[in-house]
Amino acid sequence: MSHDLLQMHLKAVISCLVIVLYKVHTTKAGQFFSSGHTNNWAVLVCTSRFWFNYRHVANTLSVYRSVKRLGIPDSHIVLMLADDMACNYRNPKPATVFSHKNMELNVYGDDVEVDYRGYEVTVENFLRVLTGRLPPSTPRSKRLLSDDRSNILIYLTGHGGNGFLKFQDSEEISNMELADAFEQMWQKRRYNELLFIIDTCQGASMYERFYSPNLMALASSQVGEDSLSHQPDLGIGVHLMDKYTFYLLEFLEEVHPASQANMNDLFKVCPQSQCVSTPGHRTDLFQRDPGSVLITDFFGSVRKVEITKDTINLTSPVEPPIKRSGSSDIQIESLTYVDQLPVAEIIHQKPKQKDWHPPDGFILGLWTLILLVFFQTYGIKHLKHIF
Amino acid sequence: MAAPLTLLLIVAVTIRAVLFRSSLAELISARVEVVSPLNAWKRVVEGLALLDLGVSPYSGDVFHETPLMIYLFHFTVDYAEIVFIVSAYFFRKQKYALESDRYSADCLELLRSPKEMFYIPLKVAMFYLLNPFTILSCVAKSTCGLNNAIIALFIFCTLKGSALLSGILLALATYQSIYPLTLFAPALLFFLQRLYIPVNLRRSSFWFFTLQYAFMYVGSLVVITGLSFFLLGSWDFIPSVYGFIFSVPDLTPNIGLFWYFFAEMFEHFRLFFSCVFQINVFFYTIPLSIKLKEHPVFLIFMQIAIISIFKSYPTVGDVALYMAFLPAWSHLYRFLRNIFLVSCVLLACSALFPVLWHLWIYAGSANSNFYYAITLLFNFGQVKVFTTTWLTNCEWKNRWRNKVSLFINLY
Repeated sequence: MSHDLLQMHLKAVISCLVIVLYKVHTTKAGQFFSSGHTNNWAVLVCTSRFWFNYRHVANTLSVYRSVKRLGIPDSHIVLMLADDMACNYRNPKPATVFSHKNMELNVYGDDVEVDYRGYEVTVENFLRVLTGRLPPSTPRSKRLLSDDRSNILIYLTGHGGNGFLKFQDSEEISNMELADAFEQMWQKRRYNELLFIIDTCQGASMYERFYSPNLMALASSQVGEDSLSHQPDLGIGVHLMDKYTFYLLEFLEEVHPASQANMNDLFKVCPQSQCVSTPGHRTDLFQRDPGSVLITDFFGSVRKVEITKDTINLTSPVEPPIKRSGSSDIQIESLTYVDQLPVAEIIHQKPKQKDWHPPDGFILGLWTLILLVFFQTYGIKHLKHIF
Repeated sequence: MAAPLTLLLIVAVTIRAVLFRSSLAELISARVEVVSPLNAWKRVVEGLALLDLGVSPYSGDVFHETPLMIYLFHFTVDYAEIVFIVSAYFFRKQKYALESDRYSADCLELLRSPKEMFYIPLKVAMFYLLNPFTILSCVAKSTCGLNNAIIALFIFCTLKGSALLSGILLALATYQSIYPLTLFAPALLFFLQRLYIPVNLRRSSFWFFTLQYAFMYVGSLVVITGLSFFLLGSWDFIPSVYGFIFSVPDLTPNIGLFWYFFAEMFEHFRLFFSCVFQINVFFYTIPLSIKLKEHPVFLIFMQIAIISIFKSYPTVGDVALYMAFLPAWSHLYRFLRNIFLVSCVLLACSALFPVLWHLWIYAGSANSNFYYAITLLFNFGQVKVFTTTWLTNCEWKNRWRNKVSLFINLY
């Protein structure tokens, strides 16, 4: 009896363990496969121009750098910079944009690919990029070619206010427009999940109006607060970064492609003690739990790999060409992958450089006529007057 | 006479040979004032190369020469320079013969001494051969020189009195570019004058000869066109050559009046204005022939001047053609007004053409208006030459009439 009880207890414990282990296993695997996205995109926008807004360009470039480092290729990043700080004539260190004072980190690097530069960064262009309504002549590098399995990171920085963001010192985008743009994207199935980060004054006002699903938003300050800039560099003469993005960059520098850091860690970046402003976030439209969302789901481009131990037989896809009856004198070799272009036909065949000759009838006719005219005019006996 | 002429010939050939061999030849053959899409040497070579590759040279917008030119050049393409020098030689020979055969009724020994007359052929030859325009045209190997040679031969045969040859050569000149069609009237008038047939529309002898000449002309034109058909076996050359001349599709700037106007025009009006511009060339034939029916050689000069000013793709070679004739009317020099102004205008414009071209195309600080202004001024200068010559001719005729009547009254 005690033996049976012991066995029953043992079975229960073992089954519990198995269940627990299984659950743990599926959680990890489930966690790994639950995000449902297959590709990553990033739209990084700096909306301010003029030299004293150096920090906004540095902000955007820092995020660009992190995003590229974590694996999103340039073809999947739409980088919009409203002004050129690296080649600005007031830049004492040309071709560089620093994020740390004492020039510790040059976020400009030597492989920055700016897609929208200068005056191309407008509200219209930004919205067109998001919604995909671009003229047919737009090149691929300027398009957001996302689909319904794309996770998109959108980062905006510049000068903003309660409910608006200023573009180029001359126009604004309102939070309602932004919300409608995201709704268009949702209806056109242009994203799977979208992370929206904004680093401006009163940035939280920009995500108040979102109403589309699968949106998560972060902002550097609440309504009524200003986002402050971090450190000036006395050598360059301007503030290099904003506080929020500075600490965001520091946080992201710790992240690597295999890192398990999740969104909850991101929400903790730059608390009020460091940032002076209160960063905010919004997750109510997001379907997954933020704790289960990896940083690399948005900032990196982690590929899902399925390892299998089964062998798969590949049938031969290329069939040999059917021999043509009555073939031409040129030998047609069977085309393999390497020999797709019949180079032998091209190289050994020189262009036939035969000179054109006028038809004989023409020559005959022409000279007959000339002779006729000649003799008609001059007559045979008058030839001596000519010669 | 032979010695100075030979000397002149040697000098002219030397200048051309020297320029051919120098690096300027490339530069000159690219200048738009000297070559036009109709007669550029580059296009001839392109057309012949296309022919060697088995493609019709008239496909595409490259080649606008007539098939007989193809025939002429296909075996001389390497010796082109010699061809052009020879054509210049022909021209000179014709000019010389032309002047020595001038019909005496057209000039008056009273107002010009025989000694002067003796030197006119040499002067004409010199004006043509040593004219910088002709030298440029020859060095650029523009087929304009050949066209000029054909027209000179035509004038020569007309003056010699051979109606058949004149008709044939006129047909050849018309076949090359359509505008010499207007020279039919002066040639006809010349023959009528020579054969003492009064130009009276009611006389049957007038119509008889006119029909004969017209028949020879049209007949030879038909024969030449038919021969060209047989050269390539297709009628492609008609839209490529004559369609091109009339519809002016190529608006590369040149020294003519068409390009700027047509570049700015709406498509809707294009047909209308191309008709207007083309009629402008042919329009002056009838009034001028009525006025100048006793002076057909002067009429030829007038017509050639009109053609070279108002044709669709003029080049400096066309300008040189009628300028060479000017010494033939040296009896008018005394009465020519505004000579200084006109010659300064022409010289200044010739100098300014390359300058403004450079400023427009290369430096980017001028625009097409500048170049067209110089074009207009150049053509204005030409028109001034033309009208001045015409007016002095009228005045001279009046003076002569007065003098003759005075002379007769005295006796």
